[in-house]
Amino acid sequence: MKTPYGHNVYGIAAEYPSAAALYEAAKRVRDAGFKRWDVFSPFPIHGMDEAMGLGKSWLSAVVLAGGITGILTALILEWGPSWILYPLIVHGKPFTWRVVPAFFPIIFELTILFSAFAAFFAWQIMNGLPRWNHPMFNWNRFARVTNDGFFLAIEANDPRFSEEETQHLLEETGGQHITMIHEE
Amino acid sequence: MSELTREPVPQGEYFETNRFAGLSLGLGVGALVGLVLCLIGAFVSPLQFSFSWMFGFILFFTMCNGCLFWIIVHYATDAEWTVVVRRQLENIAVLLLALAILAIPILLLRHQLFEWTNIPPGQDHVLDSKRQYLNWPFFIFRAVLYFVLLGGMAYLLRRFSVAQDRDGSPRFTIWMRKVSFGGLPIFGLALTFAAFDWLMGLNYRWYSTMWGPYIFAGSVGSSMSLLVLVITALRKAGYLKIVTLEHYHIMGKWMLAFCIFWAYIGFGQYMLYWYANIPEETQFFIVRNTQSWWPLSLLLVFGRFFAPFGILLLRSIKKHPHQLCWVAGWLVFMQALDMYIIVLPALHGTGVRLSIWDLICPLTIGCSLAFVYLRILGRASMFPVRDPRLIESLRLSN
Repeated sequence: MKTPYGHNVYGIAAEYPSAAALYEAAKRVRDAGFKRWDVFSPFPIHGMDEAMGLGKSWLSAVVLAGGITGILTALILEWGPSWILYPLIVHGKPFTWRVVPAFFPIIFELTILFSAFAAFFAWQIMNGLPRWNHPMFNWNRFARVTNDGFFLAIEANDPRFSEEETQHLLEETGGQHITMIHEE
Repeated sequence: MSELTREPVPQGEYFETNRFAGLSLGLGVGALVGLVLCLIGAFVSPLQFSFSWMFGFILFFTMCNGCLFWIIVHYATDAEWTVVVRRQLENIAVLLLALAILAIPILLLRHQLFEWTNIPPGQDHVLDSKRQYLNWPFFIFRAVLYFVLLGGMAYLLRRFSVAQDRDGSPRFTIWMRKVSFGGLPIFGLALTFAAFDWLMGLNYRWYSTMWGPYIFAGSVGSSMSLLVLVITALRKAGYLKIVTLEHYHIMGKWMLAFCIFWAYIGFGQYMLYWYANIPEETQFFIVRNTQSWWPLSLLLVFGRFFAPFGILLLRSIKKHPHQLCWVAGWLVFMQALDMYIIVLPALHGTGVRLSIWDLICPLTIGCSLAFVYLRILGRASMFPVRDPRLIESLRLSN
């Protein structure tokens, strides 16, 4: 689909007067069966996940994998040399696997570090970051999203998207300034 | 989303004391029989009995204090989710006043419990340098002070909260906030020094700077588990249906948080001693990590941290009251084990020697407190009906 000026269409967006109105609109859009859409607000809105029908994020699985990698890395790097490759008696402490209390801080820290890396990078990828620009910024009104604007956008590549019906749905939910957003 | 839905304010819910008269009677009889048995025990085997009583006493003392801490934190942080469960925290915390009576045997049996009370000045230099603190009049004074401060706070917080049920005046919330802000440092100091006096004092040669936080971490974590058990029991009995899975989710998160915090403090204490390897410090762990105490210490490490940590990470467990109750019950049991291997090795340094008093004493104290709890429960609504934040707490989502 193209705009009258020949740009590709990103989707249709609407502005809502309040967080509550946006919340109610999100429920309607969810129930209409849309999959590729998003809401934008200056602050997190409690219960919005549910209103949007977002399931549980799979970020936690990635973080768990990162944490386990961290634990194993630490164990291998510490036990490997001090127990197996080059046992050394330090302070009269044991040098078999029993030396593990001395390793705990490192095990702990590497677990945290790898979990944090996994969380940070997986989160970036899941959000489509990093990117230079977003089509929503082509809409002047959208600048208010960091101040007092509440927006909802339905993407054109959603299988249920059709210009008239989607526009009609946004009107029904109380959306204002309904605008077609173009790509770069 | 307060603009969207208008729910009616729920009416107060009152515990039907008559419906549970049988349970109350059973607990009362259990407590009486137990107290008589304990009286016999105190004369038949005073040494074993005094340590068993200390074990039972400190177990419930820590858990009641943990509940007091949750109320204080509720007001200090102006939390909203706690409102629906807060009355039960208040009911448990106020049991500290009953515990003050149950602390009397500890003072009477001091010569069995505290070795330092038997050593005259001039014999042990280590002790002599601590006499400024470890002397009997000051010890008594402190014991009374702890109960006045902690019990007084618990009493005030419950009294104001119940008074608010009548007129819903926000000035009670302001007062309780003042009590809580003043109470935060008082609570921390009182619990820390109580732990010094009654637990670290069992061996006057030993000391740990982590002792206060260690006892604190155990008591606060286990009291959250206790709260889960109490709330679920009341829901089973048909009350407190306003507590939702969202509240369970938060309680589960706190159980997980304090599971980690306990391990952090416990390991921090252990590792520094292990690394420094100074005899007067390591003596505590040498006794507990050798002989038959060793398996129990290992059970504590795995049972109180690794196993519940892995289980509580799952969100589905935290949102499933029945399964969460199993974890909560286990964590309360682990708190009992923790207190057991703090108190009893001071007597049986050569290995575990189970005694019937180890069972009778905590059961007696538990029955007595449960009996008092049921009495208190019927006196006021099961949740603070007119709390200004009640509606927000009812609509909790996280």
